[in-house]
Amino acid sequence: MSNCNCHSQSDVHFGDYFSENIYTWCTNCGNYGIAAAVKRALAAQKIAPCQTLLCFDIGCHGNGSDKIGGYRFHGLHGRVIAFACGASVANRKIKVVAFGGDGGTLGEGVGHLIAGIRGNYEVMFVFHNNLNYGLTQGQASATTKVGVKMNSSPDGVTSDPLNAMKFVLSLNPSFAARTFSGDIKHMTETFEAGLKHKGFSFIEVLQSCPTYNHMTPHEWYQERVKDVSEIKNYKSNDLSAALEIADDLEKQIAIGVLYQNLKAIPFMDRQANRVGKKTQLVDEVKNIGVSKLFDAFR
Amino acid sequence: MSKLDRISIKICGESGQGINSIGEVVARALKKSGFYTFGYREYPSLIKGGYASVQIDFSDHPVNASSRETDVLVCFSRVAFHAYLPMLRTGGQVIHTVQMPQLSEEEQQLVIDKKIRIAYVGAYEIAQEIGGRSIMANSVMVGALWQLTGLVFPPLEDVVRGEFSTKPDYIEPNIKCLKKGFDSNLEGLSPLVINFPPDEKRKTDALLTGNHLVSLGAVACGVRAYFAYPMTPSSSILSYMADIYKETGMLVKQLDDEISVAQMAIGAMFMGTRALVATSGGGFDLMTESVTLSAMTETPFVCILAQRPGPATGLPTWTAASDLNLAVYSGHGEFTRLVIALSDSKSAYSVVQKAFDIAEKYQMPVIVLTEKQIAESLFQLDDMEGFFDVKRHLENDDRLKTLVSTDRFKITESGISPRWLPGQADATYVGNSDEHLTDGTLTEDAQTSLAMQSKRLRKLETLLLELPEPELIGPQNAKLTFVGWGSVKNTIDDVIAIWNEQHPKKSINFLHYEYVYPVKVEKLKELIRRKQSLVLLENNAFGQLGGLLTQQTGYLFSDKLLKFDGRPFFIEDVLNYLEGRLGD
Repeated sequence: MSNCNCHSQSDVHFGDYFSENIYTWCTNCGNYGIAAAVKRALAAQKIAPCQTLLCFDIGCHGNGSDKIGGYRFHGLHGRVIAFACGASVANRKIKVVAFGGDGGTLGEGVGHLIAGIRGNYEVMFVFHNNLNYGLTQGQASATTKVGVKMNSSPDGVTSDPLNAMKFVLSLNPSFAARTFSGDIKHMTETFEAGLKHKGFSFIEVLQSCPTYNHMTPHEWYQERVKDVSEIKNYKSNDLSAALEIADDLEKQIAIGVLYQNLKAIPFMDRQANRVGKKTQLVDEVKNIGVSKLFDAFR
Repeated sequence: MSKLDRISIKICGESGQGINSIGEVVARALKKSGFYTFGYREYPSLIKGGYASVQIDFSDHPVNASSRETDVLVCFSRVAFHAYLPMLRTGGQVIHTVQMPQLSEEEQQLVIDKKIRIAYVGAYEIAQEIGGRSIMANSVMVGALWQLTGLVFPPLEDVVRGEFSTKPDYIEPNIKCLKKGFDSNLEGLSPLVINFPPDEKRKTDALLTGNHLVSLGAVACGVRAYFAYPMTPSSSILSYMADIYKETGMLVKQLDDEISVAQMAIGAMFMGTRALVATSGGGFDLMTESVTLSAMTETPFVCILAQRPGPATGLPTWTAASDLNLAVYSGHGEFTRLVIALSDSKSAYSVVQKAFDIAEKYQMPVIVLTEKQIAESLFQLDDMEGFFDVKRHLENDDRLKTLVSTDRFKITESGISPRWLPGQADATYVGNSDEHLTDGTLTEDAQTSLAMQSKRLRKLETLLLELPEPELIGPQNAKLTFVGWGSVKNTIDDVIAIWNEQHPKKSINFLHYEYVYPVKVEKLKELIRRKQSLVLLENNAFGQLGGLLTQQTGYLFSDKLLKFDGRPFFIEDVLNYLEGRLGD
C-alpha cells in the first residue's frame, strides 16, 4: 500500500488538526477541552492527521467527528470499540483512537469494552464520562448516581451506579488512566501517555455536562481531584493499589495513570501466525495460491 | 418410477460414534475405486446420542445430490436402526451392530414387502479380540461394508492408512479390524450389483465440503482477517480457517458476539484489508444494524449467511433456504446491497471472490447465502473453477497526490465515488453514519441529503448493468422449467440427467438464480411470454425468490414445489413430482 508522506519533512502542529466546521456543543461543555487536548497530544506525539484514525461513537462527543482533522469514523451507538479494534489490527502503522460516552460504552457496548481490554488491541479509548445520556436529552446512564432525578427517572434513579474505573481494573487492563475535562494540560499529558502505550489504553475523562448534569460541574471535580504522582509511594504498576484508589468518587478522586502494565503484549503480537511478519494486513490483499491446500483433500 | 443411476450407502448411528469420519472414509475409498461420490450429512444438535448419518451416493458420472432412499444401511445404534430402516429401497440390505433388534409389526411387514435383508456383525467383539478399542468396531463395519460392495480391498486400505497417518500406532490394529470385517460372514446378504464402470481419473479427485471451498475462495482472493462467532452451519469455516492459519498467515479470531464480528470486519475493511465474516440467521439478525453502517459509510462488507431452518433456534443442524428475505430486506432505511447465493461446488469457491470484488468496487454490503446442505455436504471435484484476479478499485498513486477530502463521497453518475484508505493521502475524510456531505461532514440539509441518498441508491442501477441474467440449465427448449436458487440446483442437475434421458419428449430445464438481489428478469420474462410451464422450486415455505420475481414481473407462480422440513430436496422429491405432472 502506498503511504502519504506529507509530514516526512515537517513537524506536526496543533493546527494540522484544524477543521473549518463549527462546534455544535453547549457552552461550557467538557468536549471543547477534550478536543483541544486530543489535538495537542497527537501533535506532541508527532502523529500526523493522515496517519491517525479517530473513531467516534454516537453521542454528544461524536458530533465532533467532523470538527477535527485526521481520518475519522463516526459509527453506530455503542460499537466504537469493536470498530476501532478491527481497524487497529488491519494496519498497525495508523494510530487508532476511539471515543465513547458512558451511555454507549457501559450500556449497549459494554461487551466490546471487555473484549477490547482482554484482547489488548492497540487502541487508545477515551471514555467521556459525564454521568448521563446527553444527546438524547439527559437520561440516566450506568454511571448516574442513585436518587438523581433525570429525564425518564422522575423520582430519581433507582439502580446503583457503576464505578467504571473499578470495572475496568477488574478486567486486568494494560493501561488505565483518569483525567478531567476542566484541565487541558492534565488531559494532554494523560492522552500522550495513552498514545505511547502499546496496547489498549483506557482513559476515563470525568466530564462536565452543564446542561443535564448539575451535580458535578468542573468546579466540583476541581476541588476533589488529586494526581497519583502527588500520592506518596503510589506505584502505577500495582493493580490492587489502583483498585483501592479508584474506589473514591466523592471525596478525593484519583487522576493520572492509575495502572500500567508495560509487559502486556499487544493483540497482534499474541497471534502465533503473525509473529515476525513485517507487512500489515492491508498490504497483503492479493491473490494467493491455494492449490496446495486443495491438494490436501485429494 | 424413474430408474436411478447410482448406488447409495448410508452410515448411521449415534452422535459421537464417529459416523461422520466413517462416512468420509467410505466416500474416499469409493472415490479411490474410481467413482464419483456425493456425501450428505444428517446429525442432531447434541454431542452424544440421538441419531446421525452420512449417506454416500456414488456413480460413474458426477453426483450432486442425494437420493431419499438407500441401498445399504450400515448401522451402529438401535435408535438409528429404527429411524433409518424405512429409508431402504426395495432389495435393500442392512449390516448392523445392534444386539437382537426388536422389529415392530409394521417394520416386519416393511422388511417382507421391500425384500430387505439384514445381517448382524459382532464388530465390537471382533475389535476386542484383536485387542483394539471399541471405536475400532467402526473399521470392522467398514470392512464388512466393503465386502458387500464387491470392490477390491487395496483402495480402502490406502484410505484408512492415510486417515491414521498422524497416529501411526493405530494403523495396524485398524487394518486388522478392516480385514476381519472384510472376511466376516454376512449371512443372507449378496454383493451389490455395480453396473457402471470405474474410471482411473477419479482416484485423484478431491473431496471437500462447501465450507472448505468457501474458505479456499476467501484465501485465494486475499482475505486477510476472518472474524466469527460459532453458529452452525457456518462454524466449520471458522475451524478450517484456524486449521490453516499458519499456512495462510490470516488473522483468525473468534469474537464475543456477532455484533463485534460485523463491526471488527467493517473496521478492518475501512482501514483497507479484506475481512470476511460468516454466521447463520440468528447471528445475522444481530449484524443487520452493521450492514446498514456499511451501506451508509460506503465501507465494503462481505458476510456469508449460512442458512438453517428458523425462526429462533429452529432446527440448528438441518437445512433450509429460508433467509433470502432476511438477506434482501434486513436493516433499517433504504440502501443498495447485493445478495448472491451459492449452489454447487464451483460457486462455493468462486462466489466469495466475486463478492469481495463487488463489495470493494461499489463500497457496499454483499451478502453471500449458503445452506447447511451446501456448507456441510461432501463434494467431489478434480479441480477448482472460477478464480478471479484481485482488483482493489482504489485511487492510483498519481491521483492520491491531488485528492481533496470532498472527493471521497463525490456525487457521480454511477453512484460510485473515489476510494482511498487511511494513511494513503493527505486528504482525510469522515466515514459518517449520519447523513453527510461529500467529505463526510455531518449534514441535515434536505437538498444535500436527497443528493447523497440518490447517489448511493444509483449504485443499484449501475450494479444491475453488470450482473448476469440467470442461467438456463438443461435443454434450451423443454416441456417444463423449474425456477430456483441455492442447493436445489444440485438436485435438479441430477434430476435433469435422469429424467431427460428416460423422457426425451418431456424434458425439463432449470432457470438458476445465483445473483438473487437485485434480480435480473429478462430471461424469465421471455419464458413467460412464451407461455412456458414454470414451477417454482425452493427449500422454504413462502417461495421467497418467487416473491421477488413477482415484484419485478407481475407474474404469479401458480405451480410451486416447496419443501421446508429441514431436509434438502432429494432427487425422488422432484422425480415423483414429475411423474405426477408429466408421467404416463
